[in-house]
Order: sequence, then structure tokens, then C-alpha cells
Amino acid sequence: MDKAQRIANKQKQISISEFFEKNKHFLGFDTHQRAIITAVKEAVDNSLDACEEGRILPEIHVFIKRLEGGNLELITQDNGPGIPRDSIANVFGKFLLGSRFHAIRQTRGQQGIGITGVVMYSQLTTGSLTTVMSKIEAESTAVRVNLALDTKNNRALKSNEERIPLEDWFRESGIESLHGLRIRTVMAAKYQRGRQSVHQYLRMTSIVNPHATIRLHVVGKDGEVVDQGEWVRTTSKLPRPVVEIKPHPHGMQFGTLQRMLKSTKERNVKSFLRKEFEKVSPLVAKKILEHATLDEKRRPSNLDVESIQRLLAAFMEVKIQAPPVDCLSPIEDLLIKKGLEKAIDSRYAATVTRNPSVSQGNPFQVEVGLVFGGDLPSDGTVELLRFANRVPLMYQQGGCLLTKAIESIDWRRYGLEQTGGKGVPKGPAAILVHLASTNVQFTSEAKEAVSDNDEVFDELRRALFEVGRGLQSHRKRVGQREKSKEKFDLINKILPEIAAKSSLMLGKPQPDLSPIITKIMNAVFCEEEVIWDPSEKVTRCKIKIYNYTARARAYTIIAKWPESELVKIGENARGGRKEARGLWAWRLDAIDPGDMTQIDFTVTGLSKGDWKEAEVFYRGNGEVIGCEKIDESLLEEARKQERLQEVVEEFEDEAGSTSNDQVLVGSPHSHGESNDEWQTGNKLF
Amino acid sequence: MNDLREKTRSKEETIDALHAVAEEMHNRMVRGEPPRMTLPVRSKKNISFDERLNVYKYGKKKTIRDATSLGSAHQLLRALFVTEFMQEMIEGQKSSTLREMYYISEGWGYGKFGSQNESNNLAEDLEIVTGCLREDFKLRPEEDGARIIGNLTFEERNRRGEWMSINCRDDVGDSGYGVPYNVESEKLRLVSHDIDFMMAIETGGMFDRLVENGFDENARCGLIHLKGQPARSTRRIMKRMNEEWGLPIVVFTDCDPWSFRIFASIAYGAIKTAHISEYLATPSAVYLGIDSDDIQAYDLPADELTSRDIEALKAEKSDPRFQSQEWMDQIDLMLELGQKAEQQSLAKYGLDFVTDTYLPEKLRQKLGIVIG
Repeated sequence: MDKAQRIANKQKQISISEFFEKNKHFLGFDTHQRAIITAVKEAVDNSLDACEEGRILPEIHVFIKRLEGGNLELITQDNGPGIPRDSIANVFGKFLLGSRFHAIRQTRGQQGIGITGVVMYSQLTTGSLTTVMSKIEAESTAVRVNLALDTKNNRALKSNEERIPLEDWFRESGIESLHGLRIRTVMAAKYQRGRQSVHQYLRMTSIVNPHATIRLHVVGKDGEVVDQGEWVRTTSKLPRPVVEIKPHPHGMQFGTLQRMLKSTKERNVKSFLRKEFEKVSPLVAKKILEHATLDEKRRPSNLDVESIQRLLAAFMEVKIQAPPVDCLSPIEDLLIKKGLEKAIDSRYAATVTRNPSVSQGNPFQVEVGLVFGGDLPSDGTVELLRFANRVPLMYQQGGCLLTKAIESIDWRRYGLEQTGGKGVPKGPAAILVHLASTNVQFTSEAKEAVSDNDEVFDELRRALFEVGRGLQSHRKRVGQREKSKEKFDLINKILPEIAAKSSLMLGKPQPDLSPIITKIMNAVFCEEEVIWDPSEKVTRCKIKIYNYTARARAYTIIAKWPESELVKIGENARGGRKEARGLWAWRLDAIDPGDMTQIDFTVTGLSKGDWKEAEVFYRGNGEVIGCEKIDESLLEEARKQERLQEVVEEFEDEAGSTSNDQVLVGSPHSHGESNDEWQTGNKLF
Repeated sequence: MNDLREKTRSKEETIDALHAVAEEMHNRMVRGEPPRMTLPVRSKKNISFDERLNVYKYGKKKTIRDATSLGSAHQLLRALFVTEFMQEMIEGQKSSTLREMYYISEGWGYGKFGSQNESNNLAEDLEIVTGCLREDFKLRPEEDGARIIGNLTFEERNRRGEWMSINCRDDVGDSGYGVPYNVESEKLRLVSHDIDFMMAIETGGMFDRLVENGFDENARCGLIHLKGQPARSTRRIMKRMNEEWGLPIVVFTDCDPWSFRIFASIAYGAIKTAHISEYLATPSAVYLGIDSDDIQAYDLPADELTSRDIEALKAEKSDPRFQSQEWMDQIDLMLELGQKAEQQSLAKYGLDFVTDTYLPEKLRQKLGIVIG
């Protein structure tokens, strides 16, 4: 036989199980320790995705039992929508299944190999069948079935299929839900604790899925508890539903575009552009074709290579509005904060959710959280919590873009230790990084490290700078607070005692201390306090300004507060005005030497612990200890951004009311004439 | 005869002096100024050689401790609490140890001391500001004084007020005569001796070695164990033996920067007690060893200098007490060698080497004393 022929024959004979066996490492089953993590991960990711699609608050239980002979039994139970009887074999038995390969949207699992891999691994290592029990709401009974894989034909073999009465479903599942899925499987695996463990994976998962309740129970051969964990949901707000979108011209590559042109039903390139892409209006389509010097009547399937290249080039030359970003589901900063505070005991937490952005036509969004202080160990490196589309990344930390972004920042200026201003910083902190995107690019199939991308890198750095600055000003505030507390102790407690004691000792009258206090302090102090009022369910903020100088002082005090659609200022006896989004200002009457003025206001729409520390700024002369002078240029910048945002929103509203197809194209410069109006309409003070 | 007791003040004088401290604070407050206390800077930067007294004393540099910072305000309040406490003791004819005062301060609220060191320092501050002695304040140290062995006889007034005669060779055990904290003539009299010099020894191990080897008798000397940095009473009794009996004082220590400081406090005056250096320091005391060059000359087992040692040596180079050429050479050589040695390293050549060879050689070299 011909050599080439022999090789070809051989190749054909490679079955999926062989493929699996050979590629265990990037499927996540390379070691026994990792196999159980991967199995839990596939099951839990599926449960979370299914619950999200079904708009159900997830309740997920993971049971692991050590069996004789070194195997593990894994049972996962959720309250998701369940899987209809007829689909079970497909979901569990077929590799590479699922619409996910084609739709562009943000999901956890992106490969469709997931749970089938678990079934396969179990079968290969222990010869056992995987048992699936599913209950869907539309049916009055659950279904239970054993699954084996027919790897040659890429399908599942069902056996022992039976209907389970409702009360048995309730009993076995251990949850009071009319829908859900239970998977039981046995595999060669090893349960370990530590930084790379099922426990850590679920802990991380709970941080970025604050709407989920997750329980872990691990027992040994004799039923003794080996490990357990419980992460109860901190919010009942489900993540925003993700929306499928069409590709965006900026994300196009030659091959993809060629394929799309071949398979489209559209008759000419202009309608092809309009119908098959996001954000391509007739006007934009026309401009693209002009740039590409293509006749809009051309049949898409007839374009030659050179025309396709011209088209690709034109995509980049024409201004096209960014793809819609409502297809992304960020966790949102307040919820990250809650998730972090639930999992890590700390003194300070800062989170940033950047606005969505686009890289190569793919919408992406970056979120960063930083916790500091409290029980966190101050020696050793900072714990990095990396996530892509709400999925924890636990391996290959060094090679990951998310890590590189953290390492690229000089954390020393923000108060963390870092050798040479590079690398993972040290100190009592943990840093969370979440990348949400319709298309997360990984360095390898193992999907543990995000690959390099300049736009994502820059966004990450901006977000990290922001939390870093937050940490810095927190530390500064703590320092100033200690300093002013010292001064207050000095004048309120120690000085009066010195006066009393020396007077008594010498039998002389007590001196008047007020001129001395002014001399000692010789400054204006600001004290701020944010407390949760459980009876009124509001957050109360108190700001006190003490004038310990010899002159009367007048200031405008500006407080930063977490303004949003749902978060409003409640009581506010002093009135004041909105300075910019999230910044409220009060102009105070002159405070006489030795006097104090207090500002009280409440904020509604927050829950306990959402807001713990107010940043306070002032406008006026001299220095105020405990608050910073407002940076007018930054304020102006913030106002400009807001105006821009409002212009865009206004325009989109208008466009939406006239024609659904008309969308804003290009830069805000084209609307320059309306800017002045906005300015006056928005003018403050 | 200069007796430290000459400095002693009457009850009234002491209380007045303490009240003057409170008065400075009060007067300032009446004028609308933050209260304060003025005292000399107590660091090596503010000690200088007093030609008349032949010792190092505080210079003119003053530090103002005023109530504009929390730390200083605490100190002022503490000074008032301490003053009040001392007044009570003086009037009630009681006394207390420095450590007791530290514990009593637990009840002083904002006047509480953070550490015993703070309370000791404040007691010294008040000595300096008022010109009184801590004995006037009815404060005693709890530090134990030195041990002495040798053919010398003291009379000490015991608790019953009777004078008892003690010979430091015949009337004591192996641990020697324990020096009381008060060694003034009201408590201790120097009666007689039959020795040629006093040898002060840094470590207990070496003291015991010399005792066991009978060095006191063979060399006709008295041995005094310094127990590290010597207490006031240890330095005071050496000073009295030197002045009243005319005995030379030789100092035998380890070879490290801290030993140099021990010698300086004996011979030139300690920085912390520079206000009473003339009562405590013995300017004629001689540093016998171990010298830096002994490490090489005797090929002694040595340890590397630590970074703290090196810092201490560098600090000594700018200490006015070590500005003589001899000391500079010692310090520079030690820095150059990067090594230090313990007294006990002499045991390399056997237990008798120190008494048979090393000390006789050093005594001959440095004092011209020939043994045996």
C-alpha cells in the first residue's frame, strides 16, 4: 500500500475517544485533581447558563463522595429549566453541539464540548454510565436515564429510561422545584483543597454570580465531611438577558466575510451589508461601497478576492457606530462589591464597571474589583481573581492578558508593595478582573488564559488605574481621619486635662482654652460618616466641617455619592444642587472660628453595606483636612461626558421614533449646533 | 568630697521645682499659647566635654515639647500626673520603684505610659528640668546593681538602720557582694581595702571565670560585674572607690560597639544621665580590652558584624565621646575587619588563658601593672 494511503487510513480510524484521550490536557482532564474541577465546572456553567436563559434564580448543589478504589462520585443538582426527554441524549451525548457556535453573544460555555466530555471521561476511566434526571415544568413527572457514549457515531446510548413521580423527584433532588436537572457520574479523580480546587472554583463563581446560591458538600469513604461551602445569593437581580447580535464590520476577517458572501440570501451587496451586519445603515452601506468602489448592485456571491479585500479595507475607513453592547452582561460594580464582600472579609472594596467598548467588531466590557485590608494576609502576593464571561479562570495565570494588565501597573503609588513597580503586587488585597465579551479570545483550547489584545489591555489598565486611585484616596482618607482624630483627642481630651490639672496643682483659675485650640489646630477639618439606617432602609451620610482657624471660612462642599437610576437622594435639609452625575454640592454660610457646620442627607435605593465611605471635596480657599479640593478640570470633563451621553441618548430616541433602521452614525461633531442648548439647559450654579 | 547627696533638695524645694514645670504650662495657657515644657536635647548631638568637671555634660541645645502634637501633649499631661504622684509620695513619706510608677499610670487615663521606657525617660526629664534627683522624687530603680568580689570592706546600713561591715572576699559567697541602689555615704561607707585596682567585667560568665581562677587574689584586685550597661549605682560606687581610695578602674568587656558604649558611660558619662555625669563618671577609667586588634593578635574566634553593629559603630564615629584617635582607630579597625569577639572567645586557649596570659599582658601594656 502507498505510504500516504496508509497514513490516511490510519487517520480515519482515530475515534473521538482517541481524540479525547490524546487531548485530555486542553479539555481539562489531564490530571485527576483537575478532572473533578473540570467536571464540576462544566456542570455548573451549564446550570448557570440554563437558569439565566430561563430567568430562574439558580440554586446549585454539588455533592462529591470519595469511593473505594480512588474514584469520585459527583452529583450536581440545579433548579434550572431541565431538559426535555427527547433532547437529553443530544445534550449529553454529542460533541460540538449547540447553536453557540454560530450565534454571537456572551455565554459561559463557548465550545459545546463541555458536559459531553464529562460523560466521556467517566466512561473512559471507570466504565460507568452517567445518570441524568430531568424535570421540566410542563410535565408532571421527571425522567431518569442512564447514558453511555457511542463515540464512533458521536451519539449517546440511552438505557433504563424511566419516569419518576413528582414526590420522588422532590425527595431525590432535595430542592422544592418543579424544574431542574440532576447529574450523577463516577470518575477517576482526586479531591484536593487549595488555590486550585472545586471549592475555590465555586467560591469564585459565587463572586461573579451574586444571584446564585451554591452549595458544596464533599464526603469521604465513611461519610465524614471532607470539605464544604455555602455561598448564598446576595441579590435576586438576575443578570441582564444576553441578546444575539449580527457581526460588526470591524470584526471581519477575510475568510469569514468570504463565507458570509457565499451563503447570504441577499441579492446585492448593499442589502447584504445592511442585513447581515450590525450598525450598517443605508447611508453607511453606501459610504462603504463608495470607499470600496463597488457597485451596490453586485451579487454578493460574485465578488472576487480583490473586491472582498477592498470591501474589508472600506470597513475600516468608514465611520461605523460601535456594535450594540446590550448583548453583554456585566456583573455591575455594586454586585461585584457584594460578591467580593461575601467571599472575602476586607476593610475596603472598590469596583469599576467600564463602559462597553469594541475590539475588532466584538463588544467587550471590563470590570475590576479590589478589596483591601481586614483579614487579608499582608505578606505574600495579592490574590488575583480572573474571570471571562463570569467563568473563573484558575490556571495559566502568568500567561493571561488579565494578569499582564495587573502586572503592568505600578501599584506602589497606590500603596501596595511591588518589586520594581512590576509584577503581581504584594499586600493585603485581592484584585478581581472580569472580561465580558461576545468573543473572548483564549491562548489555547484549555480556555484558561485570555490572549493579548491591545484594546482590552488598555481598557483593563484604565479600570485598574481607577480602582487604584480609589484605594489611594481611601488610604489617604484613613490616614487623614487618624490624623484628625488625634488632633480632636488632643484638644477635646488632653488639653482640658492639662489645664485642669495644672490649675488645681497651682491653685490658679482655669485658663480659657479657645484661643489655644485655634493655635494648635490652625486648620479646617472635615469628618464624614456613612451609616446604614436599618429602620428607614436608607443610607445616611453626615459631613461635619470644623473651623479651627482664627478667621471665618466659607466653602462649597461636594460629596460623591453612588447615583444611578434607582439610587436617589432622600432627605436633604440643606438643599444644594447637583454638580454632575454622582456629585452633589452645598454652599455653606461662613463658619466662624471654633464653629462647626453639619450636612445631613440620606440616599435611597441602596442596601446595607453598598456604600460605606463618602468622598468629600471642597471648593474654597486654603486646606481642609479630611477632604480634597475639587479638581475643576476633571469636573468639567465629567460634565462634558455627561452632555455627550445625553446628546447621544436624545438623538437615539429621536431616531428610534422615526425609523427603526436609522441609527446614529459618526462622531458627535455632526450635532455641534445642539451643543450650546445643552450647555445652557444643563448649566449649574 | 563630692557627695551626690549634696545635690539633694528638701521636700519643699523639690515640690516647688516640680510646680515650676506645671507653672510654665499654666502661664503659657493664660497667655493663650499652647502649654509646653523646655528641656535639653538628650542625644549625642547635645553632649560636650566639660573641662572643669572632666566629663561629658549636656550642652545648650533645648527642645520644646509643646501641646501642638498629640505625642507631646501626652507627655505634658503625663508630666503633670507624675508630678502629682511624686508630690503625694513626698508628702506621704513613701517611695516607689520606677516600675511601680509605670503600673500606677494604668489608672491615669490619657496620662498612661505606653511602655516602661517612657516612664523612665520622663523621670529623667523631670530630674533634668527641676535639677532634682530621682531620690528626691522618691523613685527607686528596680534594676539590680553590680556584684563585687575582692578584699575590700564596706559598711552598709541595713533595714534596721544598723551599720554592718562586709568584706567582699570573706563575708560573701561566690556571687559576691550585691551593690544596693543607693550607694551614698548615708547608706554605704568605704572602710578599707588591700587591692591595687578594680576590674569591671561586662559579662557574668567572665566574672565567674575570674572568680573561679582566683584572679582577685593573684592580681590583688577587686572584681565588679557590670551586668551589661551599668546601673547608676554601679557607676557611682566605682566613682567613689576611685576618688576615695584612689583605685584605678580598668574595664574588661567584649569587643563590639556596645562594649565601647559601656566603657564610655563609665569613663565619660552616659548620654541619658549627662546631667549628673560628674557624680557617675570616672574619667581615669582605662579600657583594658578586648581591643579590635586583639582579634588578630590573639587569633580569636570572631563573629561577623551585623548591620545593627555597623550602624552602631558609624553612630559612634559622630559621638563626641569617641573623638580621640585611639577610639577612632578601634572603631575603624572593627569596621575594616567586619568582626567582633566575645570575652569568652579567649577560652579557645583553655580556661586559664585569660588569667594566666591575656589579662597580665594587657595590664602590663596599658597600666604597667605586673602580676605575680
